[in-house]
Amino acid sequence: MIIKIAWKNIWRSRARSFVVIGSIVLGVWALLVATGFMNGFMVSYMADIINHDISNAQVHNPEFKKDFDITFYISNGAKKAAELRNWPEVKATTTRTIINGMIASPKKATGVQIRGIDIENEVKVTQLDSLIKEGTYFTGIKRNPIIIGSKLVEELKVKVRSKVVVTFTNSDGMITSGAFRIVGIVKSSSIKINELYAFVRQEDLAKISGIGNQVHEIGILTKPQVDEATIITKYEGLHKEDKIETWKEIAPELAFMQSMYSQMLYVLMVIIMSALVFGIINTMLMAVLERFRELGMLMAVGMNRIKVYLMILIETVFLGAVAAPLGLLIGWLTISYYSNTGVDLTNYSEGLESFGYSSILYPYLDDNVYVIVTISVFVTAIIGALYPAWKAVRLNPVEALHKL
Amino acid sequence: MSVIKAENVQKTYNETKVPVHALNGVNLTIEKGEFTAIVGPSGCGKTTLLNILGGLDHPTEGRVEVADTNITDMSDGNLIDFRLQNIGFVFQAYNLIPVLTNKENIEFIMLLQKQDKKTRDDRAMELLNQMGIADKADQRPSELSGGQQQRVAVARALASKPKVILADEPTANLDSKSTATLLDIMAKMNAEENATFVFSTHDQRVIDKAKRIITLEDGVVISDVTR
Repeated sequence: MIIKIAWKNIWRSRARSFVVIGSIVLGVWALLVATGFMNGFMVSYMADIINHDISNAQVHNPEFKKDFDITFYISNGAKKAAELRNWPEVKATTTRTIINGMIASPKKATGVQIRGIDIENEVKVTQLDSLIKEGTYFTGIKRNPIIIGSKLVEELKVKVRSKVVVTFTNSDGMITSGAFRIVGIVKSSSIKINELYAFVRQEDLAKISGIGNQVHEIGILTKPQVDEATIITKYEGLHKEDKIETWKEIAPELAFMQSMYSQMLYVLMVIIMSALVFGIINTMLMAVLERFRELGMLMAVGMNRIKVYLMILIETVFLGAVAAPLGLLIGWLTISYYSNTGVDLTNYSEGLESFGYSSILYPYLDDNVYVIVTISVFVTAIIGALYPAWKAVRLNPVEALHKL
Repeated sequence: MSVIKAENVQKTYNETKVPVHALNGVNLTIEKGEFTAIVGPSGCGKTTLLNILGGLDHPTEGRVEVADTNITDMSDGNLIDFRLQNIGFVFQAYNLIPVLTNKENIEFIMLLQKQDKKTRDDRAMELLNQMGIADKADQRPSELSGGQQQRVAVARALASKPKVILADEPTANLDSKSTATLLDIMAKMNAEENATFVFSTHDQRVIDKAKRIITLEDGVVISDVTR
């Protein structure tokens, strides 16, 4: 009966109940959409960097990353990469020769990281070919083709088929250089790919670097759902001489970002739910004050304080129970729609790209977010009901019965 | 067999600068099956006395026993349970639960007492018939006249067969015809179910119907007449 009365009570003042329900619906929707959009930014940003640049894990000579000395290559790197390809957890691997140097056009020169890549395996790991916005992926130019990023192109004031010269210190410590012709221009959310990297064929770089077919990096792409830690443990057991790291160690800022965005859900939730709590308190307090005499009667005829308290609490939970599914549904529909069509932020593309974000945003939400939000609505409703319910049970039946 | 026993009941309100002595040593005993009216001018302490007898308020001094239980110093929580099991209330403003049907209103106290559904149904329908409003069972109180609503309130008070029914100005909001009907019904319930009724009233029609009249003035009983 208490449940029945509580349910009927929320429809006594429909307008007031609809205002609370509406604000909960709006709050839940806003929370889901804001979280979905933030996730969308983060997922696309991280996915771009992990899928097109870092990969799941990388192997280096332990000394290499200290100052990128050309001589600190991975012993038997190509063989180890081939061996990794046969692991059940590994989807693909590729090898890279990495040399820091300068790149110069007839108009300008700038610093660059020259990446000698295995062009066939590189596409399996980083889908570099999918980033080509102009030109081709190492076709059409036979001698010393080079692919550079869109920002580097602007900096050097060059275009496809322009000639550039790369200069670096070879394995003998001598300054050496080579002329390359731009075969393709890549564009990515990764600032490094856009501004810093210059991709050349491994064999072309080997001719001028003096280290032959040695490689400095093995990029590893794992199969979906594989925990990178298992690869790390396995590899370390086999090749103690190398240093293998996951993307979280290579780019700790990404791991931090991931954790920060996860925390943002809770920050947003606290802000939105705090606002809702006050709305609920206000509404339920009005409901209690309006029914003072009736509550007094209930206590007079024998309804104990616990039941009165529960009745107010259940009424509030019912408001949440009506509103939460609606808010979740509308939020889910919004996220589903935009996760398919994407949100076109082209107007802000320049600003977004300077931070490495894509100008098309695909909102994304994990299923557990819906569960967390549902729980938070009910917790909010209960918190919002505590004071009005307390107010109800504190009333004196005699005074309440004589209230006009 | 006494249902209510009040000994030297005093009540003083100290909320104002000057203490108000609402009751100044009331002594009375109400026997099972009585049909009693507590009468007196406004402010004589009728409602205060009824509230104290019903366990809604505590006396400042004195002792109150209801159904052989001393409720004088009972805690508020225990008093709620005591009222549920022993006392029926009829209020001047009916105070029905507007979101429930008339039948559900009557069942409400039995439900709080955890009586089973069949018992509740049977008793509620029996009372609705006795009140002459069986056809209104599934309607809401707002669809009834004032007199009919008060009949539902009386049925609610009687539903759990309490030891005593305390009615505070039950006819104050009713017209003559509704008052007569309600009084007839209450007199009938008094006769048929041996239900004990105690009214506070200044309505002459109620006074005329009462078998015992206790007159209060300035917080003391100045006359107690049984007819």
